[in-house]
Amino acid sequence: MDIIVCIKRVPETAEADLVIDASKKAIDTDGLVFSINEWDNYAVEAAIQLKESVGGTITVISVGPEENNEVLRRALAMGADEALRLTDPAFEGSDAYAMAKILAAAVKDIPHDLILTGVQADDDGFGAVGVALAQMLGLPYAALVTDIQLDGETLTVHRELEGGLEEVDTLKLPALLTIQTGINEPRYVSIMGIRRVARKEIGVKGAGDLGLSEEAVGAKGSLSRIEELFFPPVGEGAEIIEGTMDEKTEALVKILKERGGIA
Amino acid sequence: MDFELNMEQREIVKAAREFAEGEFDPQLAMELEKAHQFPFDIRKKACQLGFIGIHFPEEYGGQGYGIFENALIVEEFCRRDSGIGSAVVLSDFSSEIIMRFGSDAQKKAYLPKVASGEYISGGGYTEPDHGSDITFMNTTAVKDGDTYVINGSKTFITNGGIARFLIVLCQTDENASPTYRGQSTFIVPTDSEGFEAVEIEDKMGLRMTSTSEIYLNNVRVPAENLIGKYGRGFYQVLEFFDESRVEIAAQALGIAQGALDRAVAYIKERSQFGRKIAAFQVNQHKAADMATRVELARLIVYKAAWNYDKGRIDPVLTSMAKMTAGRTAVEVCDEAIQMHGGYGYIMENEVERFYRDAKITEIYEGTREIQKNTIASTLVGRFK
Amino acid sequence: MEKIAVWVEHRQNEIRDITFEMLGKAHQLVGDGGQVIALFLGDPSQKGLLDKITPHAHRTVAYLDSNLKDFEPLRYQAAFADIFEKVDCQLILMGQTAFGMDFAPAVAARWEIPFTTDIVDVEVDGGLIAVRQMYSGKVSAKVSLKEADKMLCTVRAGAFPAEDLPTVSGEVQEITGAVEGDFSARAFVEYLEAAVGDVDITQADVIVSVGRGIKDADNIPVAQELADALGGVVACSRPVADKKWLPKERQVGTSGKTVKPKVYIALGISGAFQHQAGMKNAGTIIAVNKDPKAPIFGIAHYGIVDDLFKVVPALTEKVKELRGWGNSDK
Repeated sequence: MDIIVCIKRVPETAEADLVIDASKKAIDTDGLVFSINEWDNYAVEAAIQLKESVGGTITVISVGPEENNEVLRRALAMGADEALRLTDPAFEGSDAYAMAKILAAAVKDIPHDLILTGVQADDDGFGAVGVALAQMLGLPYAALVTDIQLDGETLTVHRELEGGLEEVDTLKLPALLTIQTGINEPRYVSIMGIRRVARKEIGVKGAGDLGLSEEAVGAKGSLSRIEELFFPPVGEGAEIIEGTMDEKTEALVKILKERGGIA
Repeated sequence: MDFELNMEQREIVKAAREFAEGEFDPQLAMELEKAHQFPFDIRKKACQLGFIGIHFPEEYGGQGYGIFENALIVEEFCRRDSGIGSAVVLSDFSSEIIMRFGSDAQKKAYLPKVASGEYISGGGYTEPDHGSDITFMNTTAVKDGDTYVINGSKTFITNGGIARFLIVLCQTDENASPTYRGQSTFIVPTDSEGFEAVEIEDKMGLRMTSTSEIYLNNVRVPAENLIGKYGRGFYQVLEFFDESRVEIAAQALGIAQGALDRAVAYIKERSQFGRKIAAFQVNQHKAADMATRVELARLIVYKAAWNYDKGRIDPVLTSMAKMTAGRTAVEVCDEAIQMHGGYGYIMENEVERFYRDAKITEIYEGTREIQKNTIASTLVGRFK
Repeated sequence: MEKIAVWVEHRQNEIRDITFEMLGKAHQLVGDGGQVIALFLGDPSQKGLLDKITPHAHRTVAYLDSNLKDFEPLRYQAAFADIFEKVDCQLILMGQTAFGMDFAPAVAARWEIPFTTDIVDVEVDGGLIAVRQMYSGKVSAKVSLKEADKMLCTVRAGAFPAEDLPTVSGEVQEITGAVEGDFSARAFVEYLEAAVGDVDITQADVIVSVGRGIKDADNIPVAQELADALGGVVACSRPVADKKWLPKERQVGTSGKTVKPKVYIALGISGAFQHQAGMKNAGTIIAVNKDPKAPIFGIAHYGIVDDLFKVVPALTEKVKELRGWGNSDK
């Protein structure tokens, strides 16, 4: 089975102090550590597990500058076979729709039975590229996938619904799935993996190579645009309990007693 | 000159960091530390991923990289956790003597099993009567037919209680002049009859690592366990020290960086007098000094490792690297505790443990004073 | 904005709450004289569900077809294609839900409808400006959509209150569907109910909930001990369930359980909106987190900015003392 996985390189922001840059349309990424989008890492692992069980090839694709080689190489070291980076100044400012167009143009030329993406990205959180890509390619798809079983040309997947409920669906290959976190336990990168792919070339394609006009992609080819970033209002927020550890816990015990927290 | 890590080296650093962050859990570290337990499970995983023995040749189960890449892993592991990191990275200790001087059969028999995690190794050089002076060994090996019979004792032996085999430096010719020309090294399986390891309890730090006294009472090893040439043991060990000191220096570097990380995180989090203590210039300056010290240590440690991989033996440089990194680790940890105030002094705090684990890097593999002797003797000649 | 269509989301014969939240916002946006249109796709047997919708929409378009009982995107798209031209509206709202995330981007891509996802607010002032969050809620963004006849937004669950829905005398337009074709490329099979565990967190008065900050499965007992002392149960946020440190049925949040205990103690939980959706109605929320900027402090009543591994053992000790459990005789 030939699998394509679309991956993104994103800044780790969970524990960072974020600063909005002068344009007010992006955050200042200086000093932030970048890594593979968490959802995409699960998607790469899912692809590797499928390949390990039925054979085939895995191609990873990422849209972005040379730094994106980092996440592509990481996926290669985990077990992917080929990597392709899509980059062009014309891609700047692409929204989820334009991003899906870029990816659609690239995957058309690569044999595939299955395409995997993460459900969403850590940074913009659109959660739209995978499904839009499937639509553009005319592939059956399923979003929020938490389990994959393959039987010949048929996939049986679980989708995560609300409230702990899951849905079981079947899909015919070729298909696209957006992968939810927790579907597997992504492996660590091994030194063997790094060594194996040390001399692996990463393909690069621009808008022209993909047959995309400048109007079709980037800000011009997008359907939405970020106008301004701002920090969400803090709201009332919590009353912060200060003091020594003893004073803090004493205050907590008092609150717990008053509010029925000691059942 | 190029001060940048190449692509593979950056990937190795990142892989080591991800593994250490995923597996070296602070609570687990505290429990292992209290129980004086070696992190066997973590080491096994590290081996499966190729982190241990990364500098062994591929045909012997390694990854074919140099000691520079090994130093990068040591640094990252010890940065994340001084205790687990030190224990795991030293689990192949002294295997390098087999790698550098052993026969093909010895390399095949031992190195792949060390790299895969099946064997833990150690080295027996230090003796109770004379620590850093290895020019004469009280431990003897006497040939008897196809075997050597070893008698004597060793002390402060890293991994002594958990290793599958030790490299033991023995006096094979007591009449040699100078005495160190009568020394040889042997592979001694720890399940040999007459071999006994007695754990040294209650060390200041390195509590997840086994450190033992070793008693060798008529231990018989096959003659093929002699490593390299008869009578060359002293030279092999000296050359190995050039390599192992880089590893210890990287261990110290990682511990220093780890303590710095924690100190910076703490001052950004802790409030006093109504503001974050990171807002106080005194703490900013402390952090700046610590970061500068760590970066200086990194420069010399990397240079020493790089130099070794170029095939150059330079005891002056490796001694300088170990001395600098060790001192940096102790002083940066000291300052990190100071910045934590009372909280830094209690055992639940990581910097307290880092401090205790840092100190050994100034002692084993040659004390700070021995390093100075090495440097000075080359600089100004040996005064008798 | 004069006409806004709201996609009615239903599953297992229940209208989902998000529908009413979107209807409420739609009424606000269209104002007097505007029109709120409810779009319903379903099986004829589900027609009864419309009773809950029609009072709150000026017009309800119900497309009924026996093949539309459960959501299948290919069938749904075919049905929507039938009525797309007939639905005269400038904006379509769908939920940013398991349904909307699986359907909306495909609809937008197919008909090139300018869209954005997961909005928490929307303003109409000349053009449309949607507010959505980025970087796990740390930053908000104002997003504009390209001008077009129709636009589409998916709406975050819980972003808009469903209370005080205006009641209007709405008309119903029933369309008998004729969805035909081969849609077997993706077929619905069944629902799997969540596994029932040994602990039902929805029934607990006190919940001690752990997030990423608990760092390892080995540390769960730290929280369990506090829960035991309080007479409560241990629950968790998504990352903890993803890593299998606690079973899925202990997960609080959109894709897990919704809980409403008297006291909810969030330990090392940053407070992503998906988690908040599952616990924001708790009587009292106490958060312990090292990061003073963690979104959980925005919703908690009380907060301690400190290491949970320092706070929790000390608190557990105090509670035990209070109960006279002293450490020695336990």
